[in-house]
Amino acid sequence: MPGSNREIIEVDICGQICPSTLLTALSEINKHKKVLRTGLFQLNILTDNHDSTNRVSEAVGNMGYRVEIEERKSYYCIAIFKEP
Amino acid sequence: MQATIILISMLLGLCCGFVMHRSDFCLAGMFRDLFLFRNSPLLRSLVLLIACTMLLFEAARLLGLLSFSLPSSLFGLPSLTNLLGGLLFGIGMVLAGGCVIGTLYKVGAGNFPSACAFLGLIIGSTLYAEFHPQWKQLETQTRFTDAATLPQLIGLSQSSACFVVLAIFGGFLFRWHQNGLLRRPSVVKGYLQPQTAALLLAVIGLVSFSLTGMPLGITTSYVKVGAFFEQLIIPEHFANLSYFQGQEFQYLSPLSGQTLNAGAGPFWDGLSLVQFPLIGGIFVGSALSAISMGKFLLRFNIPKVQLISALFGGVLMGFAARMAPACNVWHLLGGLPLLSLQSILFTIGLLPGALIGSHLLTRYVLTP
Repeated sequence: MPGSNREIIEVDICGQICPSTLLTALSEINKHKKVLRTGLFQLNILTDNHDSTNRVSEAVGNMGYRVEIEERKSYYCIAIFKEP
Repeated sequence: MQATIILISMLLGLCCGFVMHRSDFCLAGMFRDLFLFRNSPLLRSLVLLIACTMLLFEAARLLGLLSFSLPSSLFGLPSLTNLLGGLLFGIGMVLAGGCVIGTLYKVGAGNFPSACAFLGLIIGSTLYAEFHPQWKQLETQTRFTDAATLPQLIGLSQSSACFVVLAIFGGFLFRWHQNGLLRRPSVVKGYLQPQTAALLLAVIGLVSFSLTGMPLGITTSYVKVGAFFEQLIIPEHFANLSYFQGQEFQYLSPLSGQTLNAGAGPFWDGLSLVQFPLIGGIFVGSALSAISMGKFLLRFNIPKVQLISALFGGVLMGFAARMAPACNVWHLLGGLPLLSLQSILFTIGLLPGALIGSHLLTRYVLTP
């Protein structure tokens, strides 16, 4: 499940212009890559754009991260993390 | 008869909005991602859509369900202005975060930047009237040929040319299908696969063309809305603009059996009859899709630079759609399947436009 016992870094992209979700996800991963590598942190990207969930899963999955998508009320939470 | 046409257009819009929202069929994104990420999975669905539309249009023409001959008001003679219109449109749609129909279905789902782009579209298309006489002159001066379509240019029959193009597209599509590249992996509930959306949109396009006499298109109505307000605010200036006086657009309306005239002025005419219900339909169809998915979300705390980009992109797009003439949906889903040279030039222009737009977007709007 997203956010089991990892520290959460949350970024909210809901309602933003396309393709903000993928670009932000990539730059946030880059910014936090050291802490993400420890496996103790998890990046949560909140987006309301459903194609973004596909795109981010693909792109970030190819970079060796685990990606889990959770449907919340009116948006999606894309959880990006590494397994320790 | 007007009521029937309005009802049909509205239904087509509803289906179109619903399908586009469910599959996130963003035409602007397809071109943008090609340059921004060097990978555009949805572009393959666009190829599928164009190929299916070509097949359906040509079959319907041979069966006598469609009657048209080019050049006409729908697709005229090719000129440099089509290419330039496509280029500017490409920049605009990337900065706006969606093309003309993309903007509409995103507004329907509650997207605030797209609402700014919508406003920009009206402003841009109205501004074009100031430059219309000069632009028309350039169009005549830079006309390439007297052929309206690729088959006319190279002396092939429409059917043979379509057959060749379909064989090439078919080859690509078959390979993509075999490699599973047309399917998008998705966990989203209610997600419509873009390849299914492409098939549905091709059918919607055929119904539109055969019943209303036109492929899907909406941009002239934006001018009409802008013209309406301009007439109220600066009536003296408005009266001097020739663009708003003409009724040069002519097409055969199969349902009424009459040739209808239309223009850019704020009048109820043959284009408003089809386009306004279509616009309303797309908006409502998308909103219904978003609400039924539980994904209708209004957010207003958006970075200002994104809103400015969307507004500016909308202005560019509106302006370019008048220069081209017509928007990307008209050319990609209407003209390309008919092998119109205007549409081919417009599409060639879109590519560098989307490239420039992507650079501007990552440099000034979505900076890391």
